[in-house]
Amino acid sequence: MSADDIYIVGAARTEFGRFDGEDNQLAEQAIRGALSDCGLAWSDIDFAVGGTNGETKPDNLVSRLGLTGLPFVTVKNGCATGAVALMTARNGLIAENMDIACVVGYDNHARGAFNASPARYGLGEWYGATGMMVTTSYFALKIQRYLHEHGISERTLGYASAKAFSYGEAHPYAWRRKPVSVDEAMDADMINDPLTRFMFCSPDAGAVSLVLARGSRAFELCDSPIKLASVALRGRRPGSFEVFSPWLSPGTRTSPSIDAAKAAFESAGVTPSDIQVAQLQDTDSGAEIIHLGETGLVAHGDQETAYRNGDFDIDGRLPINTDGGLLANGEPVGASGLRQVHEIVRQLQGRADGKQVPGNPRIGFTHVYGAPGISACTVLINEGEHP
Amino acid sequence: MNIKVVDPALFVSVDPVVLRGSECRDCSAQVFPSMESCPMCSSIEIEVVALPTSGTVWSWTTQHFAPKEPFRTDAFTPFSIGYVDLGSLIIEGWLVGKTDWTIGESVRLVLAPAWTESGQQVFTFGFEAVTDA
Repeated sequence: MSADDIYIVGAARTEFGRFDGEDNQLAEQAIRGALSDCGLAWSDIDFAVGGTNGETKPDNLVSRLGLTGLPFVTVKNGCATGAVALMTARNGLIAENMDIACVVGYDNHARGAFNASPARYGLGEWYGATGMMVTTSYFALKIQRYLHEHGISERTLGYASAKAFSYGEAHPYAWRRKPVSVDEAMDADMINDPLTRFMFCSPDAGAVSLVLARGSRAFELCDSPIKLASVALRGRRPGSFEVFSPWLSPGTRTSPSIDAAKAAFESAGVTPSDIQVAQLQDTDSGAEIIHLGETGLVAHGDQETAYRNGDFDIDGRLPINTDGGLLANGEPVGASGLRQVHEIVRQLQGRADGKQVPGNPRIGFTHVYGAPGISACTVLINEGEHP
Repeated sequence: MNIKVVDPALFVSVDPVVLRGSECRDCSAQVFPSMESCPMCSSIEIEVVALPTSGTVWSWTTQHFAPKEPFRTDAFTPFSIGYVDLGSLIIEGWLVGKTDWTIGESVRLVLAPAWTESGQQVFTFGFEAVTDA
């Protein structure tokens, strides 16, 4: 262990779903939960980072938690917000030579698909007026092409949905806890070919908070601290296929997910085959299939067989999205990336809220991806005894 | 005849219909709609180009629900959108005339009715299947 190794010592999340109260109530609930998880008080926190995609100001949470004078950084990076908040906190502790950081991500979205403004993305009004400013069609166009290129059947989308809702059914904080069979997923109302109603996540409400500690302090605070072995953020390069793109460049396809995953694995000194439990951005069932390939966890084209074999189930080779992922939890954008980390931390500590991966998994991975073409990945490790 | 379109900046001409892209003088990358800088190499040496008017379906989907605003329509019916490979670049647009497509199908650029405004038809660009004749 080096003095600059960063560990997660406390983790808490709220239930995800519809929430009638104020956004910052959710955030406060998660923070107090994470503090309680490691026996700390708000006054023990040296550095804080908060992320939301909504209109509230995370740095104003101090008015609810205590005016301790600590530096509180706000981040806003779309679907990658949670992971960027985590990275910012890690960097803050190391750069400022501080010991304890608190990270929070939260959102409380209105129902229905996100309503995006063309101007915000540098596009003309025509793009929205002609019905192309639609996230669901983007996901459909992307998976339609991917299935074609890699010879994967549409039914694989149904396997991904059924798996997600099976995990969600067992998770006390998930939003969608009703199982959906492969046939039900396939036969549901078509939203955007080839994706049906049971193959998309919906925006909802929720908050997640983590407490980080640096170096040996982590082992004083937690019996089983989880090392943040790496966190990597990458943006798009030419050849990537992103939401709200009126054009794509021909030739080799790239992806920020490929780059972020590679960087996270290299920085942690592990390979995809070392991963024992993982979280992937499954905004839709197709996204999970694509991200299995892009992160290197499964070879492109092998996904269909892997789902059929149960590889991603709780007793399979590589359990994926064991809390039900975005499909079962919905997507409070600011919280979603931290939900992934929360689930992996609990799995590696042997105290999963839902289904627990058997055999004491030690190495986990998380991946977020979103507009306008960014991805962040982490590798998380339970090192066992104080090294 | 005065043809009204969703955004005149998208077109080199509307009759015959030709789309207006831009090409980087330094790295030759083409983009659509035209831009004043190159997202590939950051160059600002850019010239306007007329894009090819035929290509193949690169991906497709059919929109089964009416999008929220700012989407405009007189009466919603499911419609297809796709990415069409024009060779020098791949562009997104409506696929018109049917709602079930196959990747690799040959298509050509057309004007497609989008909505009416003060009694006048407004057109956007789309692609229709090329039938072997």
